[in-house]
Amino acid sequence: MIKKIIGLSFAASATLFAQSDLEQLKTQLAQQQRIIAALQQRVEELETKQTSASAAATANVQTPTSTFDQKSFLPDIALILNGSAVGRNVDNSTYESYFIPGFSEFDPEEESEIPYNKNRGFNFNYAELAMHSTIGPYFDADAVFHLHPDEFEIEEAYITSRALPYGLRAKAGKFLSEFGRINSIHQHAWDFTSQPLAYEAIFGAEGLNDAGAQLQWVLPTDTYLMAGFEALQGSNDVSFGNIEKNNLYVGYLKAGADITDNTTLLSGLSIAHGKNEEGLDTNVYGADLTFKMMLDSYSSLAWQSELLYRDKDTSEGDHDQAGYYTQLVYDYNQNWATGIRYERLYKNLVDEPNDLERTSAMLEYKPFEFSKFRLQYAYDRSKIFGDERKNISEILLDFTIEAGAHGAHAF
Amino acid sequence: MQKILWLFAFITSWTFAQVNVVTTYTYLGEIAKAIGGNDVNVKVLASPKLDPHFIIPKPSLIPTLSRADMLVANGAGLEIGWLPPLLKNANNPKIAIGSQGFVDASQTIILIDKPVSVSRAYGDIHPEGNPHFSTDPHNIVPIARMIANKLSNLDPQHQSAYQNRLANFTTQWNAFLMQFDNKIHSCKGKKVVQYHQLYNYLLKRYNIQAVATIEPLPGIAPSSKHIMEVIDTMQQQHVHTILQDPYHEKKTASFIASKTGAIVKVIPHDVGNIEGTDSLKTFYKTIADRLCQ
Repeated sequence: MIKKIIGLSFAASATLFAQSDLEQLKTQLAQQQRIIAALQQRVEELETKQTSASAAATANVQTPTSTFDQKSFLPDIALILNGSAVGRNVDNSTYESYFIPGFSEFDPEEESEIPYNKNRGFNFNYAELAMHSTIGPYFDADAVFHLHPDEFEIEEAYITSRALPYGLRAKAGKFLSEFGRINSIHQHAWDFTSQPLAYEAIFGAEGLNDAGAQLQWVLPTDTYLMAGFEALQGSNDVSFGNIEKNNLYVGYLKAGADITDNTTLLSGLSIAHGKNEEGLDTNVYGADLTFKMMLDSYSSLAWQSELLYRDKDTSEGDHDQAGYYTQLVYDYNQNWATGIRYERLYKNLVDEPNDLERTSAMLEYKPFEFSKFRLQYAYDRSKIFGDERKNISEILLDFTIEAGAHGAHAF
Repeated sequence: MQKILWLFAFITSWTFAQVNVVTTYTYLGEIAKAIGGNDVNVKVLASPKLDPHFIIPKPSLIPTLSRADMLVANGAGLEIGWLPPLLKNANNPKIAIGSQGFVDASQTIILIDKPVSVSRAYGDIHPEGNPHFSTDPHNIVPIARMIANKLSNLDPQHQSAYQNRLANFTTQWNAFLMQFDNKIHSCKGKKVVQYHQLYNYLLKRYNIQAVATIEPLPGIAPSSKHIMEVIDTMQQQHVHTILQDPYHEKKTASFIASKTGAIVKVIPHDVGNIEGTDSLKTFYKTIADRLCQ
């Protein structure tokens, strides 16, 4: 009863006040109507959109040919080509017989192992097929097939873990060891066409590339610190090569930091411990330092150096030998780059010359990200042909292309 | 007693543990800060001064990624040239592509300029569509919503905080958008030339016509032949504005301007890109001011 009275009185008072507010209410009502009309229009628009979307969905249903289509699971495939034109002051048959005194020997019985730019004139160095794919939630797979005109080689083929905790990552298969700075980088990503002398002398033309397993750990620190360990077969016959059982162990520690916003540093210490062909110990130590200054988005200056030191026990006694390279590369812009490299070997043997060195200079032109032409000059005082020491002058123009789905390169 | 205190300290430190959020670009970092507040610790990988396509994958960026709980990427291929090797070396499954902690902002955006046919003959094209949606402020709220939802999933304890911040942010941003829209509508109907297809989202929304690009193809440096064509087009179509990003060379734009009488306007593409753009609002305000000056 009371409620009714209150309600009635409200209604009465409302009518009383209504007279004075009528105009205001009318305008408000008109406003509300406009808003409602606008909203209605939006709803209609959305409805039409939805109908057309579902119509499109129905249309898609009518194409069942793609039911078991696996195209989206295809691996990333890239093709890398490299070829060159070479001018050299040594004829081809002589050049094939070269060796680095104190490090390598020339065996006329064996086929020459010079992998790149062997001939005066034209060389087609390789076609490389690189594949990458994710194999389930736990592993990635990678393979690099290195194809010479008369040779097929599995350069790398390995699986990598995706889901290990605590900053760990494991790898197994055949792969380039991450000893040092340049060993794990493929030729097409090198700054100079030729492999550094120290690597050629100590690990041979193929570098340290072996079957085995790897474990890497990124430390939970503010600066980049990475520790890695590899157990390898030891089939590298230049420094190791005793493969009665797996007996090559590689360890490294890498550190990186920014000095300023535009300057960054990467350094590494590496060790490889294994047995050589005589069954005695070989230790190789490596130290590397890369310093890169970004001048703008497309221009940078990079100084990179590496030192390799080998302690190889042989029946003739201990051989302590070393080699280093140091290079400066200036990326002028996205299209042009230039660089200079100096290298030296210390063979520490008394009977032969010890001033084994090479100087190279290069000019690179990249019409586009995935293609480059490089003009390189090298003056090489590290080779002996038969009994004769001969200095090599070499000028070379090469091209490298990366076609297809090729992942970006690391620092 | 001391033991209890230590235990308490330990528990509180654990309860207050922040979510480590890493973003590739600064504008994403600003959104993450707005949504995450004190509950997150935000780090940005790329320097805003550089071309977003060509960030050097410095090893110093690896530890940041390796301790991240969440990674917010622009996506649509913008980071393809530098993020994958960093991600690989960071050894952090929490932010691996496809995991809970990986956020691809481009998935909230309806991408434009999707190429009809894909070939590198057309230069550095993105098959997914144009990845430069950061220049349109209308794309910010959808990204904020995605980040809020992802954070709520990762850190359910603070879900209400994230959602509240999202609500506040959305209200504020919508108010800002009104101002922004009014400002840009005042300079509607213009025709412009840009260096790279960097501002297409913005231009399309406000019906500003992008007549040509200074680069002949995406990622290819301008040739003299192409520059002459651009000058001709500008003269024929009476284009008086050149939009220049802060990171490419400015000589070509100045040259074209001197031949056509056009004005070169340096328009930022990311927060912190040029002076006075340190927050999302000042960044977009600078875009509007410069575009309509």
